[in-house]
Amino acid sequence: MAELEYSSAEDAALVRAAQKGDMDAFEELVARHRDKIYARAFSMMRNEDEATDLSQEAWVKGWQRLAQFQGDSSFATWITRIVINLCLDELRKQKRHRTESIEEMDEETGGVERQMPVVTTNPTERLERGELRQRIDRALDQMSHEHRTVLVLHEFEEMEYKEIAKTMGCSIGTVMSRLFYARRKLAALLADLKSQ
Amino acid sequence: MRPGLIRACWLFLAAALLFPVGSARAEAGDVTLEAQLIWGTNDTKPDPRLKPADPKLAAKLKHSPFKWDHYFEMHHETLKLKLNEEKTVTMSRNCVISVTNLKGEQVKFQLFGKGKLANTVTQALPKGQLLVTGGDAENSTAWFVVLQQAD
Amino acid sequence: MSDEQQLKLQAFLDGELPEGDAREVAAWLARDADAAGLLGELKNTRNALKNFEPALKLPESREFYWSKIKREIERTAPVATPARSVSLFTLLRRILVPVGAVAALAIAGFITVHSFSGGQHPIAVNSLLADAGAFTYRDQAQGMTVVWLSYPAENKFAEKSSADTLPAK
Repeated sequence: MAELEYSSAEDAALVRAAQKGDMDAFEELVARHRDKIYARAFSMMRNEDEATDLSQEAWVKGWQRLAQFQGDSSFATWITRIVINLCLDELRKQKRHRTESIEEMDEETGGVERQMPVVTTNPTERLERGELRQRIDRALDQMSHEHRTVLVLHEFEEMEYKEIAKTMGCSIGTVMSRLFYARRKLAALLADLKSQ
Repeated sequence: MRPGLIRACWLFLAAALLFPVGSARAEAGDVTLEAQLIWGTNDTKPDPRLKPADPKLAAKLKHSPFKWDHYFEMHHETLKLKLNEEKTVTMSRNCVISVTNLKGEQVKFQLFGKGKLANTVTQALPKGQLLVTGGDAENSTAWFVVLQQAD
Repeated sequence: MSDEQQLKLQAFLDGELPEGDAREVAAWLARDADAAGLLGELKNTRNALKNFEPALKLPESREFYWSKIKREIERTAPVATPARSVSLFTLLRRILVPVGAVAALAIAGFITVHSFSGGQHPIAVNSLLADAGAFTYRDQAQGMTVVWLSYPAENKFAEKSSADTLPAK
């Protein structure tokens, strides 16, 4: 049997080997996709330690569930969904311990952002790349978990409304409202506008 | 078991006992150990009152897989131990260590966190080797207890 | 503009509208500057996020990160089913015959290491971990044995502020 050259093997070949118990093949998959999985977790949790722990947990679960991976999606997508679900579970746990602020409740209905004037300048033209990244980063920090999650799932994970609703356990209408709010808030922050 | 094999075993055992080989410290006597409580952080402006860790130690920790850039010595203990002697010292409010000097340059190291035993390690600790026990601390920092023979 | 209209604009941008509704919105945009303006803002925001996905690097080395994952995988691996029972005589016969050979090899190995390694002690680590999530890692290059405990950050082993929390020397 030809030995698998891990570093040059495709993901599918590594997955097949790992499904047979080859831990070295799985390690190669971890090495390839660890940054992306960590980045996804960090986008949702906004905390380095939590993101590291949850991404680790995702890999362990990935190994345990490897037999269930049929290749319907890419391995990267599959393992990303695992970490997303773990992050959502953790956020729900944390939410039970947090008191909801008035601002957060207002966010649900869109609040002042619905009345905010339309931002006509294009931030990608106006801001230098690094500055844009920083502002987006700050804006994500300022959002509630729910709004940030919808944004991450739609914009980074490219999920449809229906899929987001199913993943988050809410209605499509709630997904749309939260996404709208998150985008308008982001637009305001990128344009240096402050909501009252 | 075959008689020939049994005889061979006894011959080897006899040889080992009659012609011992090993390091200069084959018969372990006193040992002087240093235990340091180290705090690792990536803060760019940590408290100026903190004492930086020994540069050689910091360099070793930095070159390891640890992610922290700055290391500070929070507490230091020197332990002089006779053979088979055990000493317990407090490294911080929550951290107590117990060290036993065993023969053959072996040490038994136990770490207690908040009164509970966290781990026990028994290993050879010749000069130049470090035994590091660590864990996460608040705000993405870390703590370490470093044990080594004194220079 | 009503809330419903605003959300319809967004759905139009995201390609979530059925064909008929999408045509209606397109026609509406052609005659309503405010609607077109809002759509423009939503589009700009979406584009700003397009290449944002942070170029984050996991702040741990490959080996360290993998060692924690591997340990957890091994710790949570299902226990192997026990072998079918054998008679005591068979068990003793299986164990005792090789033991002598193993003992001989072990002793020979011990002497060999000491003879050819210039008296250097091999670092044999015997670690008993009360913390089930902890693991031991040996860094030959740095001459370090590392035992990493899994206590959460809330358990403060080392206080950040120095002098006032440390025992007096």
